[in-house]
Amino acid sequence: MMRLATVAAAFLTAGCATSSLVLLPDDEGHQGSLAVIEANGRPTEAVISAGNSRTKLGDPTPASRPLGTKGLRKTEAALLTGLPPPAKSFSLYFDEGTVHLVPESAPVLAALRDEIAARSGPEVEVIGHTDTVGSDDDNDILSARRAEEVLNWLVAQGLDRSQMSAVGRGERELKQATADNVANAANRTVEVIVR
Amino acid sequence: MLQLPVGIGIIALLAASPAIAEIARVKTSSGAAIVERGSQRLRPAPGLQVEMGDRLVTGKNGRMSLTFIDDTRFAVGPNSRVAVSEFQYDRVRRKGAMVTKIDRGSLAVVSGRIAKSSRDAMKVRTPNTLLGVRGTKFIVEVPQ
Repeated sequence: MMRLATVAAAFLTAGCATSSLVLLPDDEGHQGSLAVIEANGRPTEAVISAGNSRTKLGDPTPASRPLGTKGLRKTEAALLTGLPPPAKSFSLYFDEGTVHLVPESAPVLAALRDEIAARSGPEVEVIGHTDTVGSDDDNDILSARRAEEVLNWLVAQGLDRSQMSAVGRGERELKQATADNVANAANRTVEVIVR
Repeated sequence: MLQLPVGIGIIALLAASPAIAEIARVKTSSGAAIVERGSQRLRPAPGLQVEMGDRLVTGKNGRMSLTFIDDTRFAVGPNSRVAVSEFQYDRVRRKGAMVTKIDRGSLAVVSGRIAKSSRDAMKVRTPNTLLGVRGTKFIVEVPQ
């Protein structure tokens, strides 16, 4: 299988139809890179890091060319258009020791519902947290109940439960680090990630 | 492995969990597009849960897009055959590893948490190259 792939690759390299890479900055404008770990079965040290560049793959020392004024090909632009929207995160806050949302979180909840409803094939991850007041065990339960409270509200709004998962992480991942038994509004939270 | 006791605690607290095997979800598809799972051929309706080893196959006018549980995003172009041959992700620690194989066609990728978790944790294999992804957006094209 390995040999076959290598022969096929050599064949492709000989012609003009070889694998190629277009490297772009991410949506926040950061430029990442790609390491060429292997080319035609041989390990390499090459790193492709030039943004907005095009590189033929298969060469152990690949040369990247800028996309230039021609920019992306139509097929490439169409692919990028087809990418799903980035994941979006929402934070909801609770009154101390309860599963009751603080009033300021009501509009966030509505925005969350609208975001889920607007997405195609959404996946929703609901993660409950507490502050450090009370025992670890009690906080595991409270954080799970907070997450379920949010999930149940979304289900009551007509969203499909199978799209969503809920988990409680107690006081393990504090948003603001505190000593034990410290009431902290920022840590009484449910984070919801919509993908 | 050190995290195992914590992991068990969290699993016990799952209130409503999707299938453990889910690694991604189909967002959109059009034209001739299919998800192959073993000998099964699944229609990539929005929301279809993709599992490790699934092959994303498109025909002449086929397209598919999906988002992974680590926030990685894929757009598969026409005449493509792409498989996620390895995928591990710890939702709690937000770390993992994945290998994507592109046999033919085109794939646009925006990397997610896995690529950030450690150097070359996300790999992409084409017939002649193995790439290590270091946090970015890119397109790979493999002609037939």
